Amino acid sequence: MMLIAGTVPQDLPLTTGEVKASGNAMLVNGSQIPCAQGTGALVKAALAVTDYLKLEPPKVILAGDTGRGEGSRAIYEYLIQNISHLAPNVLVLHYCLPDMALMRKLCQAVEDCGKKPIMVADAASMYVAKAAGLASRFDIFTPDATEMAFLADPDAIHPAYINKHLFDTDISQTPELVSAAYQHKSAAKILLVKGAIDYVVKEGKIVATISEPDVPELEAIGGTGDTVAGLVSAFAYAGLELHEAAIIAAKSNRMAGKFAQVTPATKIGQVIEQFSLVFKKYLCSWSGVCYMGEGENDD
Amino acid sequence: MTFLRRKEKPSFEGGGLILFADVPGAMGAEKILKGVGYGIKLVAPPPALRKGCDLALGINLAEQPGIERALRQKNAEYLGITPLGGEAQELLEIVKVVDFGDWVMVRAGNMKLAFDKRSGIIANTSGGGCPDIPYLHAELVGKKLSEAPRPKDIGFTLCALMLERALEECLTIWQGGET
Repeated sequence: MMLIAGTVPQDLPLTTGEVKASGNAMLVNGSQIPCAQGTGALVKAALAVTDYLKLEPPKVILAGDTGRGEGSRAIYEYLIQNISHLAPNVLVLHYCLPDMALMRKLCQAVEDCGKKPIMVADAASMYVAKAAGLASRFDIFTPDATEMAFLADPDAIHPAYINKHLFDTDISQTPELVSAAYQHKSAAKILLVKGAIDYVVKEGKIVATISEPDVPELEAIGGTGDTVAGLVSAFAYAGLELHEAAIIAAKSNRMAGKFAQVTPATKIGQVIEQFSLVFKKYLCSWSGVCYMGEGENDD
Repeated sequence: MTFLRRKEKPSFEGGGLILFADVPGAMGAEKILKGVGYGIKLVAPPPALRKGCDLALGINLAEQPGIERALRQKNAEYLGITPLGGEAQELLEIVKVVDFGDWVMVRAGNMKLAFDKRSGIIANTSGGGCPDIPYLHAELVGKKLSEAPRPKDIGFTLCALMLERALEECLTIWQGGET
């Protein structure tokens, strides 16, 4: 099972269940979740992968939270209490108010599980994992360039407090930041660093860079980082090696941006709509994961 | 002989401190913040961070903007808020501007805001990771820079504060025509 946990910006009590597509939105246990920046975009991107590959859809743990943390704490507490019997293969932690003590308890609960899931953290779940010194318990982080600088700064508790010299670095200096992050044990086993060049890092070594197609407008679109996190998580769930999952996620996101002819005003749903076309055209040749359905074309 | 394992004390790990000039100030702020639901704890500040009294409030640093607003609303005085890191740390002030032709995007820390040069309408917000960011995205996108709600007023977290910085810079560019 692939389990995704995160908050959504609406009035929603803690809600769990399997996610189903519902037009441009999603349905979870009778509640409609818009596909917008944040956990909604991540879930919808993951669902695009599981739909295409005919896998079990993701299960989700969602709660409404607009910044005061109530929904975030409900999610943490639920996971701490239930993770051992939920026993997911992949656990994705996303938008939650950073809470170091609760993240520590959750990581302990995961350690106590018989079978440890593949652990993915993005957004503030990644921030708190790093701030609490728990980064190395995770398998995949998906930082952008500023978040990479945050991981490299041993003192920063949040990206708003990174050393300004690190904020000044550009994406070409990612290798130095990666090296610093691993030195300080502030990185997951796999990093997918998103930027003009995407870097895929495996236990400190850069194993791939992706720069094509070049679609710089993607950075401005709210949710494009979330979709990358959803894609890499779902490809990992599909059984790809984690670094391969990261490479294909980066390529897929870029190609979807190209297909959608994005501008800085594009909505994330317009990018997500393209994923099935991208997979149909490229996934088999990129990954060897071939769904031999109607119209498969790997050229 | 068997020993009972001592129950672990509940720890408070928020990464930030509010510093005060005197003890009543610290206790008054504790009452205010607990009253509006913040998880906080009275602590002794480390020697290097002592500015006033020997009592500080441990806070979740990510909630700094919401906490500051709650204290302001009750006219509570404090010396400052500081991260509990190694060296003295300051909030990022610098921003970066990217020109996309018809749009301008400003990066402030981990947040980005893009607006339409012709209309001044917010085209998108991206980045960040705290739970108020998707809410702010929904509230800001599609509105004019000058008419949009301000993240400093309706957000609660450091991500919202960075989005406020980006919005301020976009307003400066828009009003000054520096595109």
